[in-house]
Amino acid sequence: MEALSAVHLSKDYPARGRPVRALDEVDLALEKGRLFAFLGRNGAGKTTFIKIAATLLLPTAGSVTLFGHDVVREPAKVRPDLAIVPQEGRPFFHLTPREHIREYLLVRGAASESARDRTEQMVAAMGLGPYADEPSYRLSGGLQQRTLVAMILATRAPFLFLDEPTLGMDPFARRQVWEVIREAVRAGSTVLLTTHYLDEAEQLSEELAVIEGGHVLYRGTAEALRSTLHREVRLQFTGGVTRDDLAPHGRVYADRDRLVLLTTRAAVRGLTELALERGSEMTVGPVTLEEAFLELVGRGIEEGT
Amino acid sequence: MSLALQARAAARICYFNGIIPLWRQPLLMGAVFLTPFSFLFFLYVIAQRAELPFGILGGVLFTVLFTGNGMLNDCAYLRLERQLQQIFVVSPVRPLAYVLGMALSELAFALPALVLFLGILATVHPFGLGALALLAGVIVLTWLMATTLGFLISTFFRQLREIWPIGTLVFSSLSVLPPLFYPIAAIPAGWRWVAFLAPSTFAGQLADYAVGLPAAGGFSPPALGSPWFDLAGLVGSTFLFALAAMFLSRWREP
Repeated sequence: MEALSAVHLSKDYPARGRPVRALDEVDLALEKGRLFAFLGRNGAGKTTFIKIAATLLLPTAGSVTLFGHDVVREPAKVRPDLAIVPQEGRPFFHLTPREHIREYLLVRGAASESARDRTEQMVAAMGLGPYADEPSYRLSGGLQQRTLVAMILATRAPFLFLDEPTLGMDPFARRQVWEVIREAVRAGSTVLLTTHYLDEAEQLSEELAVIEGGHVLYRGTAEALRSTLHREVRLQFTGGVTRDDLAPHGRVYADRDRLVLLTTRAAVRGLTELALERGSEMTVGPVTLEEAFLELVGRGIEEGT
Repeated sequence: MSLALQARAAARICYFNGIIPLWRQPLLMGAVFLTPFSFLFFLYVIAQRAELPFGILGGVLFTVLFTGNGMLNDCAYLRLERQLQQIFVVSPVRPLAYVLGMALSELAFALPALVLFLGILATVHPFGLGALALLAGVIVLTWLMATTLGFLISTFFRQLREIWPIGTLVFSSLSVLPPLFYPIAAIPAGWRWVAFLAPSTFAGQLADYAVGLPAAGGFSPPALGSPWFDLAGLVGSTFLFALAAMFLSRWREP
């Protein structure tokens, strides 16, 4: 069953001269109970899409339905089922993480006892215990973000919009948040996530879309996106070889003092021999989602580095 | 969400946006009290002592009107700087519950200063319980008028820096220029009607009437001097601002 369906969705923002088109006839459907990631450069249209779908912004044309209700005509019917982690949001200045979670649940209509229990569960799950009673102005940026994410995930809303939820978090905190997001999906929530961390998209999402200039360029799994490169292997050389040596075997780009070659499995044997011969240090790995993403959005890997 | 739950949502917003910050940073109370008290102090020093009750009542109404400025700044700050209005829009909370909760939290900030001003007034110019009830009515209507206006304005701006001067301009015009700190008799009789262009004048006149301060004669037309006219003006302005906030404010971005 579809949780979200966008049909010919467009959004123009007013600007001097002529309007700027942020979304251009986007069609997208998301299944209920799944985690979907939106990838794209800054200004690609991800947040605009989320804001329209979450009833925060009116579209210029097209429609979005959430659980069968039109978000423009029937916002009051869909809002109880939604919650959002806003992009670059920050928590209330004076409240502690525990107060944030509990008060937001109470505001949304949770019973007092249930709010208390869910607050304690979320404080523990998000690793907020040692800071749970500190006012947010004393917390680091990462902990403030964790607080904001915790208060939204605690709602167990059927549809969760997470706009860059782990921004500014350390790798440990990100993994804790990932686990709580996975738990929300296991419990039946549908999640629409935007992120610039491609490993996060890969770790969390069952499906993703790449958006650029208001158009959806790709929709599918992370694995399938990687396969669009038609090169499975990533070789990294330090010293001994030149760009000209590698160029016939695939796509080459410089990464600081190293050369990276995206190539096929068949080419690895010959290139290993070349590296041994030239005394070059070579590492082998799979191509990354980031490389596929850069290729797809048409910026070219060379330019991207 | 039922009406009762919406009311509870408003009460919770008041609790965490008004009472908790006051509890953790009591200095906020002083900030609310300081400006009207400064006006009062200068009035006391330079004006006739007989006009002191007008100044104290002015302090009461200034404090209430500036809940609108607080509302404007708080709502804009939560929406633009912290992106927190979004979490209330994308929730079962209705706009009315959010606005009421925010307005109640502004009232919570103003309450200590109001009690203090009313205490000073009772000492300088004793008044009865009936007058207190009337005054409470004026305060509630003025609070509703100011906070709905504050919320309405807050939704139209995209940058916090644009809002700061607007709030000061609007709410200073409503609270300093009209006859709140001074008797309307101080305005030449032929020009008194001008004062009623500011809806806060209705509140000022009604408050003067409530505590039995001498009303000025010589209104033209004479109906301008009637408390019923003031009541109709205050109720009408409050209703108008509430309607404007309901239909013109931007809960969702265009």
